[in-house]
Amino acid sequence: MSLELAKTLLFFLTGAFLVFLAITITRDNFSNRLNRVTGAMLLFAGLGPIFVALGRMVDPTAGAAAGFQESGSYALHYIWELFFPSLLLFAWLFPIDRLSGFRHPRLRYLIFIPQLLHMVIVLFFNSLINALDTLRVERAAEGLSSIILTPLAKVVSVLYLLVSFIRSYEASIFGVVNLIYVAAAFYFLETGKKYVTNPRLLTQTRVVLWATRIGLGVFLVTHLGATILPYDVPEGLKSFMMIMAVASGAGIFIFATIRYQFLDVRLIFRQSFVYSITSALLVGLYIILVVQSRGILQPVFGAQAQIVSYAFIILVLLFFQPINNWVEELIRSLFIRTRTDHRNVIERFSRQVISLFDPTRLRGIIDETLKTTLLVEKVYFVLFDDEVEEYALLPSEDNAKRVVLGRDDLMLRGINLLDTPTYSHSLTDYREGSSLARLLEERAVKLVLPMKDAEHLLGFVALTDKAAGYSYSAEDLNLLGVLSNQMVTALINARLYVESLERIRLQEEVTMARQIQLDLLPSSPPDIPCGLISAISTPSRTVGGDFFDFLPLDDNRVGVCIADASGKGMPAALLIAQTQAILKSEVCNGNPIDVVLSNMNQQIVSSSSSEKYVTLFYGELDTAAGNFAYANAGHNYPILVRATGEVELLKTGGPVIGALPMMRYRSDSVQLRKDDVLFLFTDGLSEAMNSKEEEYTEERVRQYVATNKDCDPQTLIDRILQDVRLFDPTYPPRDDTTIIAIKVNNGFTVHEG
Amino acid sequence: MRLSDREQDGVVILEPKGKIMGGPDASLLHDKLYEFIEQNKKKVVIDLAEVDWMNSTGLGILISGYTTLRNTDGELKLANVTEKIQSLLTITKLVTVFDAYESVDEAVKAFK
Repeated sequence: MSLELAKTLLFFLTGAFLVFLAITITRDNFSNRLNRVTGAMLLFAGLGPIFVALGRMVDPTAGAAAGFQESGSYALHYIWELFFPSLLLFAWLFPIDRLSGFRHPRLRYLIFIPQLLHMVIVLFFNSLINALDTLRVERAAEGLSSIILTPLAKVVSVLYLLVSFIRSYEASIFGVVNLIYVAAAFYFLETGKKYVTNPRLLTQTRVVLWATRIGLGVFLVTHLGATILPYDVPEGLKSFMMIMAVASGAGIFIFATIRYQFLDVRLIFRQSFVYSITSALLVGLYIILVVQSRGILQPVFGAQAQIVSYAFIILVLLFFQPINNWVEELIRSLFIRTRTDHRNVIERFSRQVISLFDPTRLRGIIDETLKTTLLVEKVYFVLFDDEVEEYALLPSEDNAKRVVLGRDDLMLRGINLLDTPTYSHSLTDYREGSSLARLLEERAVKLVLPMKDAEHLLGFVALTDKAAGYSYSAEDLNLLGVLSNQMVTALINARLYVESLERIRLQEEVTMARQIQLDLLPSSPPDIPCGLISAISTPSRTVGGDFFDFLPLDDNRVGVCIADASGKGMPAALLIAQTQAILKSEVCNGNPIDVVLSNMNQQIVSSSSSEKYVTLFYGELDTAAGNFAYANAGHNYPILVRATGEVELLKTGGPVIGALPMMRYRSDSVQLRKDDVLFLFTDGLSEAMNSKEEEYTEERVRQYVATNKDCDPQTLIDRILQDVRLFDPTYPPRDDTTIIAIKVNNGFTVHEG
Repeated sequence: MRLSDREQDGVVILEPKGKIMGGPDASLLHDKLYEFIEQNKKKVVIDLAEVDWMNSTGLGILISGYTTLRNTDGELKLANVTEKIQSLLTITKLVTVFDAYESVDEAVKAFK
């Protein structure tokens, strides 16, 4: 008795589990045909054991007898055979969709006819054969001579024979039919596998194929072996094996479907487990109570014993929820989360991307996450490219060529308005003339995930349908929404990182440029017999727009140059390097000073825009005779402080160099004498500014140099810089500062001209 | 630098205010000039009365404006040059290049 009860419970539990799974899977995404077909398949597979269990409850001896004579709910278990056409339908849809190509899709339901027929035969066989028998006998009684009725009598006879034949071989015939169905399904699954590229889908297909093999094997051994071949399997063992076939085959099948298709596998398993276990527990309890108490209740309540059963059912309904919760708690503690669980996907994704700064790898991880967890077939990236300042469809695993999009693309503007994952077909208003729309259409993009930082669209991820034509469930869309938010954060991080790398690289370049610039400056001032020269150049940034140079011309003459390019930093440094090079080549040509300057001007005008110019002072000092010939191209006037304290300014020359073409320059010369100081500087010194926005001024430079004319040139430079620092404590300056100081110590033999 | 403009007797008067330095100032003045050149308004006076400071880049901007107008057969004149800017023009010897006037009216009159 208790063994029988356990078997009944096992039947019921298996059936209930399958039915609940069917409901859960169908409900998960009802609009998806694959969900519906899978649901139907599991429902039919589950209804079989349930009806067996119900039949056994009503009549515990049922099932022991072989053949079609069983009736009532036990016979209803033949509904499970509808599992086979459902399996075939499934194989048509998975892993590749062959149904959409059908011209008459409704014809597919015709494959359900054999199993339906079988059910009808089993359910109504006795009454049918009785009716036919009566009809035949009646006809015979009325006399076979009746000519009109003879054909009808023949039809009835043939039908009788046919039904009798089916009656004898019903199990074998439909066993073979079912076998053909399984084989066909197997064939379609096997061939469909070849078209699968997504790794997760491939695993799923393999598992489904194995499930089919195992189910098929067990089915062959038990059911077909027992019915087609003449060996006898005890009915009890047979039904047990059948259950095992369904449980193992469908079990693996379900595992594959859920594990690889649905995200929250834990939830689905839990719900189905909990519902089936709870209902099995309650029904088992019910059966035990009813069966055991029948003997006690019957004499007490008499005919009203039935009412006690109803009362119990109400009680069961009341207790279902609390018991359900309790079982759910238990299962929750037993189950482990899987990779495809929503929360795990999010957690894993954010863990992976938080420390990832390489945009290409980041896209790779997004690609992989979407494909493995959501089974997305193809993933495309459209991102704003900072370099070309346009949006571009980037090359990726699924996209070979980079395509730059027009800035005013209508579809792009449409996507800019989105905040959540959106189906591309809902963007029809933005299709007109949009090349992006065409690109997305060509790639069969179904879903667009905008990635927005505040109101700025960083780009979007475009997804095709899921592999095998699964469509996205509401849960999928939620997950995608969360993921795209994380992608935004990751993209911004990656970009900041790239920018900081870029800054470091630029900084390194600037440092190198600084070194080059330092190398271009004379390492030390030249020794001159008549006195001392000192010079200093301090850029306001790493590189500067000032330069000074000393050019040895011949034994007695040295060229002295100080210059200041407009602007600061790198552009000024480049201009100054060019100026320095041109100056050297012009001086080497032996041209007179005025020609040197006008040639320089022409060359720089022709190679730079007019707002870039250089102020430059160039002079040639005859160290033997003390003559200093010079021309001033728009530079701050160099100061000549005579031994007497008298100050002269070296103004003669022409406009700044490089601003305007065809400029003429004049040169002049002064005779230096003992104890004269020549002080050349750039405006960084005279325009040093204190917090009250007062300038140090050229006037103050003149006074300071005049007052300190007796110092040696290096001391003079140090002191005046100190004085500037007193004036403006924030010095070093906001502009480049360069100073050359020349002190004449000896008198000249040549008489003053 | 802020920049406003007006017209007087068919002459465009640009009125920069504040400091003329590098960066956005350059393109601001440049774009404004081109705006007028495209409308075939090529007689321009820059009124420097409200410019309290100008660095080398700022001077570059003026030179650029001057060149741009000259290359399109236009002309640029300066008005109300402050002492500071005057000395800058003197040192750079650009006084000979720029026509500078004591007032806008005089500069406008000089166009006739």
